Amino acid sequence: MSKQSTTQQRQVWLIFFCLGIIMLNFPFMQIFNRLDTLFGLPLLVFYLLVGWPLSIVVIYLFSASLQDKGLPHRDSNPDRELE
Amino acid sequence: MSVQFLGIITLCYFLLLFAVAFLADNLRQRGKSFVTNGTVYSLSLAVYCTSWTYYGSVGRAATSGLDFLTIYLGPTLICFTWWFLLRKIILITKEQNIVSIADFIASRYGKSTYLGGIVTIFAVLGIVPYIALQLKAISQTFNMLCGSDNNLTASFQLQFPNLPLDTAFLAALFLATFCILFGAMKLNSTERHEGLMAVVALESIIKLCAFLAVGAFVTYGMFEGFGDLFSRFITSFPEKSDLLLISAQHNSSGRWFTMTVLSMMAVMFLPRQFHAMVIENSDHEHIRRAMWAFPAYMFLLNLFVLPIAIAGILTYSGDTTLADYYVLSLPLLEHQKLLAIFVFIGGFSAAGGMVMLESVASATMILNNLIMPIILRFNLKTTDISGLLLNIKRAAIVSVIFLGYFYYRTLGETEALVNIGLISFMAATQFAPALLGGIYWERATQRGAAAGLLSGFVVWFYTLLVPTFVDAGWLSDQILQHGPFGLEWLRPTALFYLNSLDILSHALFWTLFFNIGLFLAISILTTPSSVEATQALRFVRVSTWRDIPQKRTRISKAPTIMEFVDLMTKFIGEKQANMAIASYLGDREIDEKGSLSEYEIPNLKRFTEKTLAGSVGAAAARIIIENYLSARGSKMEDVFNIFGTVSLSRDASREQLGVLYESANMIASGADLDTIFDNILELLYHQFRFDLCAIRLYDEDSNLLKVRNFKGIDTEFLSHADREINESTCIGSAYVNNRVILANDSDCTDKPASMEIIRREGIKSFAHAPITIEGQPIGVLSSYSRYAKGIYTEEFIELYKNLAAQIGIAWRNARQTSQLIEVSEQEKELKIAEAIQLSLLPDTMPSQPGVDIAGICVPAKQIGGDYFDFINKQPLLDVIIADVSGHNIGAALLMAEVRTFIQAQARQLSTPPDVLHVLNRFMYEDLTNAELFITMFYLQYDPVRGQIAYANAGHNPPLLLHHETGTFEELDAEGMILGITQEMVFEEKQTFFQPGDILVLYTDGIIEAESNAMQMYGIERLKAVIHENRELTAQEIIDNTMNDARMFQGRRHFNDDVTMIVLKINS
Repeated sequence: MSKQSTTQQRQVWLIFFCLGIIMLNFPFMQIFNRLDTLFGLPLLVFYLLVGWPLSIVVIYLFSASLQDKGLPHRDSNPDRELE
Repeated sequence: MSVQFLGIITLCYFLLLFAVAFLADNLRQRGKSFVTNGTVYSLSLAVYCTSWTYYGSVGRAATSGLDFLTIYLGPTLICFTWWFLLRKIILITKEQNIVSIADFIASRYGKSTYLGGIVTIFAVLGIVPYIALQLKAISQTFNMLCGSDNNLTASFQLQFPNLPLDTAFLAALFLATFCILFGAMKLNSTERHEGLMAVVALESIIKLCAFLAVGAFVTYGMFEGFGDLFSRFITSFPEKSDLLLISAQHNSSGRWFTMTVLSMMAVMFLPRQFHAMVIENSDHEHIRRAMWAFPAYMFLLNLFVLPIAIAGILTYSGDTTLADYYVLSLPLLEHQKLLAIFVFIGGFSAAGGMVMLESVASATMILNNLIMPIILRFNLKTTDISGLLLNIKRAAIVSVIFLGYFYYRTLGETEALVNIGLISFMAATQFAPALLGGIYWERATQRGAAAGLLSGFVVWFYTLLVPTFVDAGWLSDQILQHGPFGLEWLRPTALFYLNSLDILSHALFWTLFFNIGLFLAISILTTPSSVEATQALRFVRVSTWRDIPQKRTRISKAPTIMEFVDLMTKFIGEKQANMAIASYLGDREIDEKGSLSEYEIPNLKRFTEKTLAGSVGAAAARIIIENYLSARGSKMEDVFNIFGTVSLSRDASREQLGVLYESANMIASGADLDTIFDNILELLYHQFRFDLCAIRLYDEDSNLLKVRNFKGIDTEFLSHADREINESTCIGSAYVNNRVILANDSDCTDKPASMEIIRREGIKSFAHAPITIEGQPIGVLSSYSRYAKGIYTEEFIELYKNLAAQIGIAWRNARQTSQLIEVSEQEKELKIAEAIQLSLLPDTMPSQPGVDIAGICVPAKQIGGDYFDFINKQPLLDVIIADVSGHNIGAALLMAEVRTFIQAQARQLSTPPDVLHVLNRFMYEDLTNAELFITMFYLQYDPVRGQIAYANAGHNPPLLLHHETGTFEELDAEGMILGITQEMVFEEKQTFFQPGDILVLYTDGIIEAESNAMQMYGIERLKAVIHENRELTAQEIIDNTMNDARMFQGRRHFNDDVTMIVLKINS
């Protein structure tokens, strides 16, 4: 994987990370902070029950897209590599 | 349910855990590990979900609503960064053999002992209450199950009546045994504990299944699903509907954010999390699975938290005093004993996993960062203290667990335990600035980190623990209301009058404010030490630091390999030490003395330190190595950067090229040898700041290496001293063995003679390189330094050898030039000789009526030995042709002598034999001395009578072509070569010329002309060409003959001098 695509990946990640923090915090969550129900669930509970798995799916898709970067994995003999 | 029954079940579960751990360890030894994969790794991270969350989440949901979720949402969010952040931390950890979070921070900031100590103390302070909480959960749930189903409160008092033991003690005992067996089998903490991790992963599965089971039972067994629960709740407890919202009161939004941040940091930096996530990681690729599997696990675990909480509220009619144990009490209420036992086992798993990992991680930190520095101070003389260290580690595990137990026994029933989970989270958060700053900011310094950590913890203690103590009743409420000593602005929950935040947000703000603030400020104000700077580089640029030019070091009085092994043996045991060194040496080059090269030793030192760090931590390892080296008088020295400001490695080659280029320029300058030598020495002397540079060349006459040139200190022992060709001195040795001899530390010279000189002159390091021509030594290039040891790096020696080779080239060039000059001067002299010689031959042919005469002499080299002449004795004409053997100057001189004699004497002598006779007598001595001889044909022509008289001294008989008959007559007469004896008699013969006759006199050069086929031109060819050209003039006959001979031999130049005279009698 080229250095450029790594940087790009990192940026995409950072955006998702920030997006996650915003969407799972105030004031964004105030949108759902009502006593209405949806499918019998309180709106906020419903939002979290959907939003949370969604973010996990995003991580899953990302990690599936990751490629091996040729770094040493299992350091069977890390010392040799170091020195 | 009887105590015995539950006890047996618990024991069985324990045995199962033992079996799994044992199996995992066993399989690992056989190389069939089932622990090293992404799934088990992800499950082991779930040790994050302790009994505090297992039971406590429901309690929190029932009392304060949805904010329990933040404890899991934070980790989910931080998972987004793992591929970059966690992977970097893992890479660094593997590179540095790091064994704990304290070790990580200490190692980053110059392997600082006190920083490791600070982190350890605070980590343990934060952990012990947390462990107490787990023990409390185990004990309470156990007692709950054994107690009366209807009287939950009474069950808390249940104890073992006949034993001074309680459930918590037994649990602590079992857990401690387990940890010692599977967490402290070996000292090397970098070696992963697969048995332990297998158990933690299994426990994670069990606690998830148990929780899902009870959740499903409550939601679908006791009620009719989510919708039913929520609708009933909203109708029955409209006043509690806030639980389903994030209420606008009490700064809920701020608290939500605070808890998200806290849990993000906690999941990374709680010691057990760091241990499971980083230290026990076997392959950073596992992160890829853990990134989604771990959040997914947390999601599943929390799916039923809110339903259970609501079910509890509905079931207990709004009574939330025992909400923390709804998970257990609801199935008990419904008489689902098996489910309740399953839930208890799940809770036990949640608590047990946490206690085990936390205690192992803490024990490692305590041993490495608190005990080791003390042990090292005592400097034990025992050869192997690895056993002792292992026992200390075991003792530390037991201590941590039992500290938790005693904490619980003393304070278990007070309020001090309630919020301990979040307080621990806050403590872990304090590690974040130093740790994250450390891996992304090179400028972060040890003092900055220490100031940040200390201030963070002081504020943490003050803003979080002090209020807890007040709640527990240990401190007066006064301090919260009016501040200590009545200082209002110092109130722990409203520091500096900041009273609009909840206690957690308030603490988070102020701890991080001081922590980050001081960390940044002091880091900027202080300068990192060299160790710190090196470590900073290795952390921040973990994947690229090897490409960065490193400052090279050497060790004076370096220990040998065996000494390093002995040192390792002391701390990690003989077997491990031998294994480590074997893996290190591997295919490394070992020199003739069985040791590593000078520049390899610092690497071995680093390796030893790293190996030790794997067992005792980076800070202690550093102290061990430093103490050891200083005790034996060894010192780490920076290798003096001989290439000046340019750093070593890549740039050095550029500098090398520069120097070589300059010296090559000097050699090409065409200056004389001494100037070139002086300039090269000057270059060496100034560029590398030596104190003396000298060139010694071998002198054949004296059989010594004589100083030819030098630059620098002028002493009779170095700059003026010649050296013998033997191995008694380093210079002699360099010459004899034709290899570079260098001493980076002149104290280590093994030649007494050299040693004495070096001592007297105060030389610290020196090097001698043989000056060679085509591989053969002709001298030695020496350089000496009085001020620096260890300046001769491999790069420099390479350059030095090249310089010596260039000096050899300069010397050869100079020698060849002088030879050329010699040759060219000789050549000039030869040219003069040739000119003189040619001037001795007649330049014009005598004009004799009736005779056409032509002659030619072509010397093979510049000077020749052929000679012809005419002497006009009116009316007679004498014709002489001669050949002096040889083509050298001597021959030419003799020829000149002959000519002088003939020109002077021939007129007085009447007949040819007389001339030859007298000439022989005159020349005899000179010819004998010169070991030369002369052949000569002397002919006298009388045009009046048409008669010729002649005598021959061994010369080729001339050819006479008779016009009438067309036949050749060879004119020969008795006579020997001149110079054989002093007295010789020559025969005179006579014959007559007829008109049209042609007489050809020649020397052997023409008939001996050789073709490419090695054939001689021969007399027959000569005759043929003369006959062919008989009608032409004498000159034309000569020209054509010469051309024919040239055509025959295929070359323009003849091998021998060629001389011809043609006389043609006009008809």
